[in-house]
Amino acid sequence: MISAYILLNMKPGNNEKAIAEMRKIEDIAKISIVTGEYDIVVRAQVESLEKLLAVTDKIQMIKGVNKTTTQVIEKEITS
Amino acid sequence: MKIKFRKRHLFLVLAFSSAIIAAMNSGVDSIAGDLMNNYWVLSISCFILGFIVSLLFSCLLSIPIKGKSIGSQTFDPSFNRIRLITKQEIAYHALAGLGNSIMTIGYFALFYDPNLGRSPAAILPFAQVVILYLVVAESITEKDTPTLVEIQSALIVTFGAILGSISLSGTISVRALAIVFLIINPGSMLFSFYQRKLKMIKIKDKPNDSINIRLWNVVFALIFTCIITFCWSLYDGTNYLFGGLTASINYFGWLFIMATGTFFSFVFYIRALGIGKASIAQAVKSTVIIFSIPVTIVLSYYGYVDPFTTDPTLLIIKAIGMILMILGIISFTVTLAKSYVFIKVKPGYSIEDTMQKLWKIKGVNRVCAVAGPYDFVVKIHTRTFVKGYERIIRKIAELPSIKEYKMQSVLKEWENI
Repeated sequence: MISAYILLNMKPGNNEKAIAEMRKIEDIAKISIVTGEYDIVVRAQVESLEKLLAVTDKIQMIKGVNKTTTQVIEKEITS
Repeated sequence: MKIKFRKRHLFLVLAFSSAIIAAMNSGVDSIAGDLMNNYWVLSISCFILGFIVSLLFSCLLSIPIKGKSIGSQTFDPSFNRIRLITKQEIAYHALAGLGNSIMTIGYFALFYDPNLGRSPAAILPFAQVVILYLVVAESITEKDTPTLVEIQSALIVTFGAILGSISLSGTISVRALAIVFLIINPGSMLFSFYQRKLKMIKIKDKPNDSINIRLWNVVFALIFTCIITFCWSLYDGTNYLFGGLTASINYFGWLFIMATGTFFSFVFYIRALGIGKASIAQAVKSTVIIFSIPVTIVLSYYGYVDPFTTDPTLLIIKAIGMILMILGIISFTVTLAKSYVFIKVKPGYSIEDTMQKLWKIKGVNRVCAVAGPYDFVVKIHTRTFVKGYERIIRKIAELPSIKEYKMQSVLKEWENI
């Protein structure tokens, strides 16, 4: 299983509709609206890099998404 | 298709559902307690039926429909089917089972306290003091020092529970308090704490499911209850084990209802434990006290427990207790702040070494070494943003390997649960 964080920069005023679209994408495990340089942080869990590409592709097709930055998780420690 | 939920909403729905079922179940407990005259017999028979019911429902929920089990489509998406426990789970199950056994024996022992009159509204508040124990245990083991808000909330809930538990005659029983502080709450703490540990374990890359956890908890609790009862019987010269077995046949109907309610109440509670901290799940579940009032009124109407008090002073004290509890629960659940920290590391420093140093900082919930513009994505949980900055960000910035960091606070979050 491959996990990745996708950091999104949004055009102003599109967050709610974009999140409603993202909530329908199956491989997205978590969506967080954040303050600061990025507007939304998405955590994706996919079986292969090809599927990760499909997820980022779907996100980029959503109206209001300006830019995506993908960070693939290599190692993780969690409680 | 999976739809994402606000994590906090699902957590509250699960914990409140568990509390409502537990309150209704407490009424059935009172009736079963009225039928049997010994808490050892009641505990044994309760776990025998608990095992039968848990096995029955776990098998039913394992039946697949369109490739997915009924349990995964209804109660817990992580549930696939009934299974044997893994080696990794044995120790946790043994401790959670021991906790459940001790807690249940203590809880039923309170039923036969003459000051409490088998009234759920008088008995249930006692058990809520466990929140204090959980806050202390979490601060020791989950590398998360309790904040002032957490300590205040735990104390408010505890004082509310004590006020709410004043018996109908206005007295507080020393024997009952001793059972609560020395038996029920330590048992309950073991139970909640290790059930949460079990829920956090991954089985074949999937979160552990609440249905199998509940089934195996009952198995271990039954074994421990038999051992404890047998030891007590040797000391006492009685045969409660046999008494429990015959009671489970004679009062099968009431015990079946009781075990069914307990099964679903705990399945919801365990799922809630997988989402939030044990102390917060317990705080929400404490509302069982409020839901137990209508149950007590119905039971007293049918003569199973003493009549509900009409003394205005006692009613005011109980109302103050309830209000304190609700305030404590609200402040417990609404004050959690989460943030992401994106970190770049200076060249010449080990990623693995930095990862371990980041993980050691209190309040850091997750550390991910990532490929991309940043080297780490760190998730932090705090009670306030000020504390997050003071205690966590400053420590991250002090690490010599950190070149640059950006903190982004989470305003809203949705998740597949």
